[in-house]
Amino acid sequence: MKREMKVFLLFLLTFGVLCMAGAAFAEDPVYGGILRWREINDPPKLDPAQATDTVSSRAIYLMFDSLVENDSDGKGVLPALAESWEGSEGGTVWTFKLRKGVRFHKECLGEPTANGGREVTAQDWKYTFERMVRDNSPRAYFIEMIEGYQDFVSRDETGATEWSGIKVLDEYTLQFKLTYSFAPFVSVLAYNSFMVIPREDAEKWGKEFNFHPVGTGPFMLERWDHDQKVVLKKNPDYWRKDDKGNPLPYLDGVELVIIPDNTIAYEEFKKGNLDAFQDFPDEFYVEAKATYGPLFQERPWVGTYYYGFNNSKEPFKGNRALRQAVNYAVDRERISDLVIEGRYPPGKGVLPPGMPGFNPDLKGYSYDPDKAKALLKEAGYPDGFECELQVNNNPRHKAVAEAIQAQLMELGIKLNIKVVDWGVHLDMCERAETQMFRMGWVVDYLDPDNFLYVLLHSSNHGSKGNYSFYSNPEVDALLAEARVETNWDKRIELYRKAEQLIVEDAPWVFLFHYSTSLLGQEWVKNMHLPAMGDYSTPLYNVWVTKK
Amino acid sequence: MFTYFLRRLLYTIPVLWGVVTVVFILMAVVPGDPARIMMGQRGDPATLARIRADLGLDLPLHRQYTKFLGELLRGDLGTSYRSNEKVSIALSVRFGATLRLAFWAMVVASVLGVTAGIVSAVKQYSVFDYSAMFLAISGVSAPVFWVGLLLLLAFAYNLHWIPGVGYGDGQAIYLILPVLTLGVRPAALIARLTRSCMLEVLNQDYIRTARAKGLSEKIVVIKHALKNALIPVVTIIGTQVAELLSGAVLTETIFAWPGIGRLAVEALVARDFPMIRGTVIFMALIFLVTNLVVDLSYGFIDPRVRFE
Repeated sequence: MKREMKVFLLFLLTFGVLCMAGAAFAEDPVYGGILRWREINDPPKLDPAQATDTVSSRAIYLMFDSLVENDSDGKGVLPALAESWEGSEGGTVWTFKLRKGVRFHKECLGEPTANGGREVTAQDWKYTFERMVRDNSPRAYFIEMIEGYQDFVSRDETGATEWSGIKVLDEYTLQFKLTYSFAPFVSVLAYNSFMVIPREDAEKWGKEFNFHPVGTGPFMLERWDHDQKVVLKKNPDYWRKDDKGNPLPYLDGVELVIIPDNTIAYEEFKKGNLDAFQDFPDEFYVEAKATYGPLFQERPWVGTYYYGFNNSKEPFKGNRALRQAVNYAVDRERISDLVIEGRYPPGKGVLPPGMPGFNPDLKGYSYDPDKAKALLKEAGYPDGFECELQVNNNPRHKAVAEAIQAQLMELGIKLNIKVVDWGVHLDMCERAETQMFRMGWVVDYLDPDNFLYVLLHSSNHGSKGNYSFYSNPEVDALLAEARVETNWDKRIELYRKAEQLIVEDAPWVFLFHYSTSLLGQEWVKNMHLPAMGDYSTPLYNVWVTKK
Repeated sequence: MFTYFLRRLLYTIPVLWGVVTVVFILMAVVPGDPARIMMGQRGDPATLARIRADLGLDLPLHRQYTKFLGELLRGDLGTSYRSNEKVSIALSVRFGATLRLAFWAMVVASVLGVTAGIVSAVKQYSVFDYSAMFLAISGVSAPVFWVGLLLLLAFAYNLHWIPGVGYGDGQAIYLILPVLTLGVRPAALIARLTRSCMLEVLNQDYIRTARAKGLSEKIVVIKHALKNALIPVVTIIGTQVAELLSGAVLTETIFAWPGIGRLAVEALVARDFPMIRGTVIFMALIFLVTNLVVDLSYGFIDPRVRFE
């Protein structure tokens, strides 16, 4: 009996160890397999210099690399193709040491590329940045602070043949000289337009490079069936390795499957025909969260949803009490719960929680109808007033607007909702032709500058981002000072002061902060939703256990 | 007949010019600057101006128009603002998919519609007649989107018989559901029209004569009645073909079918003027060609029709 017991125990132990080993084995990365990722439409641009939308960005993140990249928790930038960098005293000269041995794709659409898979050098970076200006990239001006930008932009008149502020010190050292100190400079370089491309392929294809994209990223373009799918295959020479020194990526490829309709896309996911579903639609949100549990990832996104007042025209111009009254009259939590399934947390100020420098102690506006009434009286509208709110054409925006309309009505504020399409909306907002407008903003680079300076500094009125035509010299001065301040703590202090002043001035109705979501199948491993949003989820270290 | 054909072909030129001009004017007057949409939400005015110049949007309207007409005469439909794709290439690539879908939808609709119409007329007031006409009325009134979703849920996601969406690598199985979705409405229309035309013809004196001569019912119906009842049916088939080609937008969206309907919708949303103009001109051309083919086919169906 004793012996039997021993054998039994031994058996149990062996079984247990085997099970654990099996479990550990299951967690080990496996090579192979294709990941099918849902997109809502065909990516318009696969040339990083030209892309301005998230669908294009998704594909670009898979095929290209930048000098630095955003940390997935949104806590700053990490090295990518630059191994290290340093800024001079005063922050006007930035020197980047490049990673050695990074190679461009040697294949695109099944054909050998013009660059032949050669190594990336500092010359390629200089070419990449200069090409952005030559090809009128809509995002080249993000780095207009690099010396010589204006001369190179107006090269027809100035005769400039190169961008003087970008210097190649040696094959692996790149230097930028700025005309003024710009603290978020390195963060800007993580934006998805600033991805290195090979001169040979860019020159071979010209504008057609958009259809023959060649980068250094984990995946290479294999096939592009327009309006159907973008098929990417593994780059066998990718520079990144996993913790154990194994080559990446694990996947054989990624398919960006284009399914315009949300209902059908969700059915396809349920059927197992899709492995990942980003930017989850509201209508299935509750069901999917309940069904898929931890597979449904969600986190705050670095974005803010607001209604801007036109601060340059009556009735909001110069009437702070009126703007504050509207802010007190909106019950953000109720609207979030009732209209968007509680997906967007109510906002107190400009900066979203995922943003470095977010101030949890900011004094914002709560729902307080009595205060709103008192302020209305102070503003000279004791019985309320009538105004027009313009929103762009999207069912979600309309639903939120209608809920707010009903809440404001209780205080005698008559909000007339006007729905127009996106292009018209942008045109009218930037020309200050609205009274009140809906707008949202998601960061380009992880720095408070991208919110506060871009959206609320008076030098950015209109198309540059300040659609509310807000202007406060004190805020301007604080924001300008923060831009050049190199000490992070001091910068944050300046931003906090500026943000509090802005909130008190109430140029917007501060409504919600965005959240981002991603749903993956159980067989998709190591897929983590980053702070910058679902579309930038890294896939080079993801593997699938079901082929 | 040849001169008729030539004359009709010449007629298409002013019609197309009219379409082109109207579309150009409409695009010019609608608000929403395409360069602005390309820039996204944040735009530097200087870059915006350069993009506008690059696209030729800074030219006075009449210069834009003459430039556009000049390019059109050279067969150049321009380049998409949104994707830099040549409009002619984009259309030719997507048209194949739409044509395939519309062709099979029309074949299915014609066969089902004409057959159901004939049988309903011949067996007037029978159970078949009532059922077929009930289905036809439902088919005409059911929204395409609803029909598509219903078919998908039933056959792709519940029964798992057919793959849900996409074009696959061109396999026929991917065609079944979109073809049925797109074919329902024309099938219903054709069935109702065929039935009423057949009933009208079947009551004519010459049919009674044919029957009196002792001809079999089959010959009476097929050879004598159907041929004469077919002219309005062919007309409706013709107009439906053009409608299917241009109206496949919803079906293409539901089934993620890579056709010109979706191309047009996305171009509209993005204010992609060259692509919008290209698709409209292309659709207009299809309407004109289809109408011409329909008119020419009358002569073959009914020799009494003469081309003058």
